[in-house]
Amino acid sequence: MKHLLQVMTREIRMGLRNPWAYSFMGLFALFMLSLLLINSKGYIQGYSGVSGTMLNLILYLLPLMTLMLGSFSLTGEKEEGNWELLSTYSLGTLDFIGGKYIGLGIVLLSIIAVGFGFAGVLGWAGGAGFQLDTYMLLLAFSASLALMFLAISFLIGSLARNRWQALTICIGVWFFLIIAWQPLLIALLGSLPYMWVKPMLAILTALNPAELSRLMAVIKLGGGSIIGPEYYDWVKWLRQPSGTWSYLLFAALWIFGTGGIACWLWERGRGRG
Amino acid sequence: MDKVTVQVANIRKLFKGEAVIHDVSLQAEPGQIIALCGGNGAGKSTILRMIAGILRPDKGEIRVCGLRWQEDRRRYARQIGYMPDDYRFSAGLTARETMAFWAGLKDVPRSHIDEALASVGLEETGSKPVASFSKGMRQRVLFAQALLARPPLIIMDEPTNGLDPYWMESFIRLVRQAGASGQTVLFSTHQLQVAEALADRILFLRDGMIELEGSSAEIRRQLGAGGFQDAFASLFGIPAAAESSRAGREQGEDDEG
Repeated sequence: MKHLLQVMTREIRMGLRNPWAYSFMGLFALFMLSLLLINSKGYIQGYSGVSGTMLNLILYLLPLMTLMLGSFSLTGEKEEGNWELLSTYSLGTLDFIGGKYIGLGIVLLSIIAVGFGFAGVLGWAGGAGFQLDTYMLLLAFSASLALMFLAISFLIGSLARNRWQALTICIGVWFFLIIAWQPLLIALLGSLPYMWVKPMLAILTALNPAELSRLMAVIKLGGGSIIGPEYYDWVKWLRQPSGTWSYLLFAALWIFGTGGIACWLWERGRGRG
Repeated sequence: MDKVTVQVANIRKLFKGEAVIHDVSLQAEPGQIIALCGGNGAGKSTILRMIAGILRPDKGEIRVCGLRWQEDRRRYARQIGYMPDDYRFSAGLTARETMAFWAGLKDVPRSHIDEALASVGLEETGSKPVASFSKGMRQRVLFAQALLARPPLIIMDEPTNGLDPYWMESFIRLVRQAGASGQTVLFSTHQLQVAEALADRILFLRDGMIELEGSSAEIRRQLGAGGFQDAFASLFGIPAAAESSRAGREQGEDDEG
């Protein structure tokens, strides 16, 4: 535990001094502000065109940003020789990976909080902000999305040998999960017998953290009816009082599942030398 | 304290199915300073990285203070201070912060950090970003890191790369001090004068095998060479230098005659 805290503190220190973090912070704040400008007519409440656009734009930017920050951080450890040195220390692999995950998670949540905070303050001052509950929901959506994709980025960072390889995999994963998901889903489900469509959709949605988060946010913002009858099962589950807990459980499974595989890969590499 | 700090028995290492280290054995006692010399690709770094616990041998056994990495890797790691050859410092951290991180992982009190930095002459630059340091300064930070927990075994891969003559002298003094206090030092170098000045025993490696082993006096005697440079040239068949070495020896014999 002491070693995990050491790694975490170093990660936060390095993350908050990394020019990349500030570039992302600036980009995120600018992006939030531009959304407010689009909605300069008044306060945004519940699911609307603006909150829907915002959800989609967060969905484009945040996963890519997270995948790059996380995977580069791990491949950097390999490329810079830091992991080689640390593997001569009495440092456990779980302490190393866990410390880095928590540290980078704090850095990412800080970036998101500053972006939201900046837009929130300006929005409220100018009378064109979000209602508090809508605002908090979008913040929670962004935070959970970032933490799930951070775990995926650790898996990428464990597999990739260098930053270039990591970048290639990151773009591939981002493209598949964010851009290509819907057309691929339509093509796949279109080729299945009708009775399989709903159960398959329910299963496939759980396999994509971005889609799962988007559904959760849309439903909680009251826009469940726009999703379509095929998603009826998900809408029903997530609307229940236990829906939030079910979502958190799915998110935790994603984080611990992918993070666990990353840790196992890292440990396997260490054991084999 | 164990009678033997390092016990390496018939280790072999394969990379992509090809042996790069062939049945190497060595033993080091407390206070001994051992240099691994050889050309590029001779296997110096691979042997050191296997002893440090970074790489696993495909055959043979390594024990440090009687411990095997596979049995208790945490205790094994506590016996070692390792100085890597290829290391890039993370941007954004100062030398003191970097040392504090290492000290925390080695359970060394923070009060030792300034002492360690002072021992390598970096006490005044400790608050500067370590990534902005020159190669020699970075080597000194890494050296201080290896000495930090005063482990029984110090392993250094090309430690004198980039050091200026003044710090080369200081490095030699600090390594001698470590040896005198009972720490075993294993290091690789291609600077033969450093090996000759520091090491109690020198291992010449070629193609992953120990070609020659002994004290500097023994090696000179075995090869009949005037100096270490000549010994190296004659051992590795470097034509011009070997020629000059032979000419030198013949000249010496003529003079004696």
